Amino acid sequence: MRHNLARYVYGYAVCFAFAVFLFSPILWTLSTSMKRPIEMFQWPPVIVGEPSGQHYAAIIADKEFSSALINSIIVSMSTVVLTMALSIPAAFGISHLQKKAMRRLLTLVLLLRAAPGMIYIIPYFLLFREIHLIDTRLGLIIINTMFATPLAIWYLSSFFDQVPREVEEAAIMDGASMVQTMVLISIPVARSGIAATGILIFIGSWNEFLFALTLTRDEAKTAAVAILNFMPFEGTDWGRAAAACVLMLAPIVIFVPFIKKYMAGPTTIGAVKG
Amino acid sequence: MASRWLNERWALIAPAIAMLCAATFIPIAAVLVLSTLHYDIAFPDKISFVGLDNFKRLISDSRFLNSVGVTLMLVVIPVGLQLLCGLGLAIALKEKLIATRWMRAAFLLPSVVPPAVGGILWKLFLIPGVGGLSYLASLSGVHLQADLLGSRASALAAVILVSVWFGVPIVALLLLSSLESIPDDVYEAASIDGASWLQAQWCISIPLVLPAMGTVAVFQALEVLGIFPVIFVLTGGGPAGATEPLNYYAFLTGFTYLDFDYSAALLVVFTCTLVCACFWSIRRISAGRVGS
Repeated sequence: MRHNLARYVYGYAVCFAFAVFLFSPILWTLSTSMKRPIEMFQWPPVIVGEPSGQHYAAIIADKEFSSALINSIIVSMSTVVLTMALSIPAAFGISHLQKKAMRRLLTLVLLLRAAPGMIYIIPYFLLFREIHLIDTRLGLIIINTMFATPLAIWYLSSFFDQVPREVEEAAIMDGASMVQTMVLISIPVARSGIAATGILIFIGSWNEFLFALTLTRDEAKTAAVAILNFMPFEGTDWGRAAAACVLMLAPIVIFVPFIKKYMAGPTTIGAVKG
Repeated sequence: MASRWLNERWALIAPAIAMLCAATFIPIAAVLVLSTLHYDIAFPDKISFVGLDNFKRLISDSRFLNSVGVTLMLVVIPVGLQLLCGLGLAIALKEKLIATRWMRAAFLLPSVVPPAVGGILWKLFLIPGVGGLSYLASLSGVHLQADLLGSRASALAAVILVSVWFGVPIVALLLLSSLESIPDDVYEAASIDGASWLQAQWCISIPLVLPAMGTVAVFQALEVLGIFPVIFVLTGGGPAGATEPLNYYAFLTGFTYLDFDYSAALLVVFTCTLVCACFWSIRRISAGRVGS
């Protein structure tokens, strides 16, 4: 391509504008989380002052929030394990179907996710109330798993598609059953895709708000909901809310580079070019 | 191989699919049934069948009509802006400039932020007079004191802004992968014919990613209503219902006013509209994934 000034000007200008738009709320919160109360609303603002850890200390000491963080970790990890246990076999099976059956099943799987989450809260609330799953981690794990499984099947089946069929055939020649082939050959070959799927499920469950809001009260409340306790209705005490935001973001941010190429969802795999 | 595994395959697939179908269709059926009943959670024994009464109530409910309008605005405007901004960003990120590689990863950050946290980030950022937006405005010489969340139009604009903030990274990523599937030869041929870079973008890149934009639009249309937590934190649906989409109204009806049967009717209308609008696109997308 011919050397052209326009592309550099355009490229840098657009990237700069989006960097400001996408990062400034996050950086502002990071800055707020480390301000001392006296600096909170000074004008002009103190962007990088003398960093203070007092808000972080305050939220870690907060019993309700720290137990909510533990709930978030337990619920998210269990959701990953349970979703994998359900969707790895299903995805492996789907990826070995004939094309027509495969297309129908994948359509069904995507359709299962098309209805908005809001429609499920009333029935699950009424059901969980009957069977005493309201305000339990188990209840949240069940519902998060139900939400994660369709997308997990979709991703995983495309990773199993990429496992060379010759390798699997060789295992069968040696007398392996289908389950053995899956466990000993296909899962190890597809491990990086499986890991990325696991991370995506973890993030989805970590971020989940609607069910945690309606199906828990105190015991099983997750951090994504408990964080609202720190919001000041009036006044200027934003330090703890900001620090809690940063704490919630930290575990996710470190994952982004690993899952970057899988993040685009079902649309990236094959369909976009069409 | 395939024929030998016929039964095993279904044994592997069936548990997950059966569980999913049960966990999806039974609740939806329950909502459908509930929407035709009179049900008061305080007196759960006094259930009676009222047919379409709950739906008749919709027609004369001005709050429902308002929320339909808000839903439309909160789907169409953010998705349109996301596609526009996402395309602009994707074209910029496709060029091999300094640092584009790490920017591609870093720009994805907003799309993994928990929505409730996103709401708090923006609420803090938009504090009138002393928030980050006022600061940015003051850097460019504008004096901004107004409470954006205080008036109807600007509150709606703020929610749209946050919605775009959440969605642009993914849209840009999708469109970027579509842009990168265009062979370099096409651009070289255009360049040899004397096209400038801008002309090449306008006449090659944009027309060739248009089909992909259709698919992305469908997915984002389903996705943008997931900003429920943002609305919950940022505006609470206000002021005066200006940022109250249908799903938020249904949530309030069910869980604040405990009017479960009417909330079910709202959700039936909401879900039918969404699923019907997206069914054909979903079929096409999975056909594209498998190859027909």
